[in-house]
Amino acid sequence: MAATPSLLDSLHPLETKVLTALHEAPSSASLREELIAKASGLDPSQLSMAVEWLLAKSLIKVESEKVIPIVTLTQTGEQYFEKYAPVERILSAVQDPGQTGKRLTIQEIQSREGLEPSEVSSAIGCLKKEGAIRIVQGGYIESTGNPSGTAESLRTLLQQLRGTTRELHLFPESLRRVIEQYAVKRGNTREPFRISDRIEREFSLTSEGQEAAHAIAQQGIGEEVSQLTPDLLKDGAWRAKRFRKYTISLRPPRIAGGRRHPYREFLDLVKAKLVSMGFREMRGSLIETEFWNMDALYMPQFHPAREIHDVYFVKEPTHAERIAEPFFSQVAAVHRDGWETRSTGWGYDFDEHRARRLVLRSQGTALSARTLAAGATVPGKYFAIARCFRYDRVDATHATDFFQVEGIVLGPEINFRTLLGLLDLFAREMAHAGESRFLPAYFPFTEPSVELHVRHPRLGWMELGGAGLLRPEVTLPLGVNVPVIAWGLGLDRMAMVALGIHDIRELFSTDLEMIRTTRAHF
Amino acid sequence: MPTISINCQDFEQLLGKARAASTPITAADIEGWLPLVKGELKDQDLELGELRIELQDGNRPDLWSCEGMARQVRIKLQGKPSSYPFFKSRHRPKRRLHVAPGLEEVRPYVAACAAIGYRVTEVGLAQLIQTQEKLGELFGRKRHTISIGVYQLPQIVFPVTYALVKPDEARFTPLGFEEKLSLGEILAVHPKGIEYGPIIAGHERVPLLRDGEGQVLSLPPIINSREIGEVKVGDQELFVEVTGTDLLMVILTLNILAANLADRGATIEAVEVVYPYKTRLGKTVRTPFDFGQARVIPIKTIESALGQRLGSEEVCRALSAYGYEARSAGNKVSVKPPPYRNDQMHAVDVVEDVAISRGYGAFTPLMPSQFTVGSLSRVEQVSDRVRDLMVGVGFQEIISNILSSRQELCDRMRLTGTAWEQLLEVDNVMSQSFACLRQWITPSLLRVESASTRAFYPHRLFEVGEVAVLDPTDDQGSRTVLTLGALVTHANANFSEIHSCLDLLLYYLGYPYTLEPIHHPSFLGGRAGQIISQSKAVGLIGELHPEVLEQWQVGMPGVVFELSVDALAEGT
Repeated sequence: MAATPSLLDSLHPLETKVLTALHEAPSSASLREELIAKASGLDPSQLSMAVEWLLAKSLIKVESEKVIPIVTLTQTGEQYFEKYAPVERILSAVQDPGQTGKRLTIQEIQSREGLEPSEVSSAIGCLKKEGAIRIVQGGYIESTGNPSGTAESLRTLLQQLRGTTRELHLFPESLRRVIEQYAVKRGNTREPFRISDRIEREFSLTSEGQEAAHAIAQQGIGEEVSQLTPDLLKDGAWRAKRFRKYTISLRPPRIAGGRRHPYREFLDLVKAKLVSMGFREMRGSLIETEFWNMDALYMPQFHPAREIHDVYFVKEPTHAERIAEPFFSQVAAVHRDGWETRSTGWGYDFDEHRARRLVLRSQGTALSARTLAAGATVPGKYFAIARCFRYDRVDATHATDFFQVEGIVLGPEINFRTLLGLLDLFAREMAHAGESRFLPAYFPFTEPSVELHVRHPRLGWMELGGAGLLRPEVTLPLGVNVPVIAWGLGLDRMAMVALGIHDIRELFSTDLEMIRTTRAHF
Repeated sequence: MPTISINCQDFEQLLGKARAASTPITAADIEGWLPLVKGELKDQDLELGELRIELQDGNRPDLWSCEGMARQVRIKLQGKPSSYPFFKSRHRPKRRLHVAPGLEEVRPYVAACAAIGYRVTEVGLAQLIQTQEKLGELFGRKRHTISIGVYQLPQIVFPVTYALVKPDEARFTPLGFEEKLSLGEILAVHPKGIEYGPIIAGHERVPLLRDGEGQVLSLPPIINSREIGEVKVGDQELFVEVTGTDLLMVILTLNILAANLADRGATIEAVEVVYPYKTRLGKTVRTPFDFGQARVIPIKTIESALGQRLGSEEVCRALSAYGYEARSAGNKVSVKPPPYRNDQMHAVDVVEDVAISRGYGAFTPLMPSQFTVGSLSRVEQVSDRVRDLMVGVGFQEIISNILSSRQELCDRMRLTGTAWEQLLEVDNVMSQSFACLRQWITPSLLRVESASTRAFYPHRLFEVGEVAVLDPTDDQGSRTVLTLGALVTHANANFSEIHSCLDLLLYYLGYPYTLEPIHHPSFLGGRAGQIISQSKAVGLIGELHPEVLEQWQVGMPGVVFELSVDALAEGT
């Protein structure tokens, strides 16, 4: 391999330093790591990185590898340095009977010095062997006055090795023996010294490495930079620099950007579509009275969907103070006997107290009822993306709170055929459906009622929504004298497909990683 | 509404000669007819020829059986109503049922008839039981308003009496038991007694149906006698009764059962019910009874609702083919619903039947053409700007459930026992996790944070969503406030970082504000503030208290702000 310019350009500054150090080495062709470090000025971690890279690129090779035993202090060793080794402490205890006024037994020494039985017995064995102590009658231990070679050697070693590492062969024979005796071994880790192996490698340049180093030397070192800096720009020094080329095929580090929630993105799209079709947005309260949530929609108070197992009731306050007139009286009358609508009404005793009962909004249609009562413009189109609540056990297809997309269209031209026309428009605009069909349906507040089924390009036939003409029992008591379409779209299934999820609960996921990584396909 | 099982072969037999084709009926044939009955195919077993169909219309209990569905299809195929002569007969019935005084307080109404000459088949019995169950449970609101009993006619000696007796005054063997029990024991021990007993509880005496010899027929609405009230395959003479609290619903239910049995070949014989008290149909009521009234509707009403010129002939044709007796009278049409229906409250109900009878496909969709201007509400416009800006500042949007728990909203936020612990709570709690509406957004963001400690940092989250704030001055006791919440967590997250975000946002929105120190338990002392604008508190900002982070098991410092978007919409 020739030292091509591209090879040179791809060298990291650390690599360049190592190559240069080896190239400039005065004596031989190979250098020990230690010397390379000194010559290149790299710290050990930088050096080992650069060496590994260069080995991988075959620019350097390992010339020789030697295993050298080295000695370090263990934690026990550090403690011995501070607080003395057991041999030193026992010697000092028996040399100084004045401290206690009496002679000591092994047990007394052990408890006085807070030593382990094994430490005491091996230290006493050693001192006795050296003739520094003797054991007299009664088990008392006395000093012989002779010095202990071991104690002295230990002290020397502890001082010499503190905070450093030395090769074992640098110590004289006598000390080496002490080190070996007091080194950590398997089964005995409480020793002051550790002998471990240091692998010392010598490196030399390969022929490619030599070419590269030569080329570097010719170009001059230090001219390559990786980051353009304001300073380089300021004084124009960049002109004399080479910029390291990057390996741009590597994956970049991940970042997290600001982003709309993918489900909200879907709902924003729906919102924009509806506005573009001429719909005005309605908003309202999460808390509703049963009146606006159900009575005004001509759902009789005994309707099964009004029971405690379908709607969430508010604990406190339980009832609204009042409901606006004349709607309250007129709706009550329409339930009782049809009021002025030419309907028979439901014919039951309408409970006005119950009408004021507060619930969590269970259908977006409550907003439509309020909009009608507030004086909707004629002709008019309205929509809401309303959070609704149902007393449902939460599972993969049921959420306890969810968004409902629904609204109304009112005006003199509204009839069953324009209702179908509107649904056709929704089928095309909302589901890009090529085909749609209308089926009779039942909702308490519309007659006729229609279900819209569409052939979705990806999902096949699916129910997209329900709609109908509001019953006169709904519109007239709210003061509306023109026909009104009420419509609702079930878009969650489309949203789930767009987001690639299978569980409705994931629309409101709490998993940030999932939210960050979900891509929507609209 | 109900989901019922039907059998294809049974359906075919009930259609009879109305269907010209000689090939066996298929599930696909039936599916094609489902729009006539607002039915949705839920499930099918092609081998057995069994279909499960959901019927949507809660006001059409006549359709909740194979007989009823087939009847609607048969009428369509024939183009004219089925005839049920027993509704028109004027002979005085030979069988009588006497109602005793006092029942007006407990369960006032009863209707009954005999069905003779139809040999009960296995599939017919299954349908009879299914109809009895669906009508009693759904139309009768768990037997409160109506309940049904069917008996072996030959064992009954007329007249039958419907009377109140003390629970220890009578004994009989209920269905499902071997020995005789007193009425009180049945209420206490029998599964049906336990389930439906509360309907007649609170009275000294309970209703009882007995025959002329004192034999018990049933304890309505609880359970039949095992001796008389157990219909079996092969029985040829039946007695059917309905009791309940609403006279018209009771009679309608009997009319439906009578029509169903007539469709299977039975001759229906009426029963005369004699009351000691007045009813809206008098003291003596012959049942089954057709109480339907003809209604005169201008053709124009129907045409303008449907948006289609049809003419009276077409309207009459469509209505006849859906079961009505329809007569054209100039520019009006006189329509009378069949006796098994009572769901025409208003002319619009007839309008829909015209459309269903013709088929929705017979109407060409017409695009509404009147011009309207589309727009977003002010608060939604501001919300969209806020969301845009937050995204630009680098925040990830979140959407959360609004229902939460007191533990998340208060306990974990160190708000319990403080002025901030006021929540809007649900009365009928299903799960403690969904027991309260959130009063601020921060706990929603922390819920995400808590579940996402392994997602790489920094985390910058925001949500614009609704919260519910208690407000005694409001008519409904609370307000819904659209609120922005923002949370930053990473190893060096601090107050100044979140403050910068808030400051930038409000600069672009042109919304002047100041911060006033506040002592708030969710935040570290001296590192929390209220956001004040036009001397109104519109939000909060602060560094989350370490205890809050611990409670949520969040291992990074976190800083948040919350801001009322409603206030922004008013103030910008």
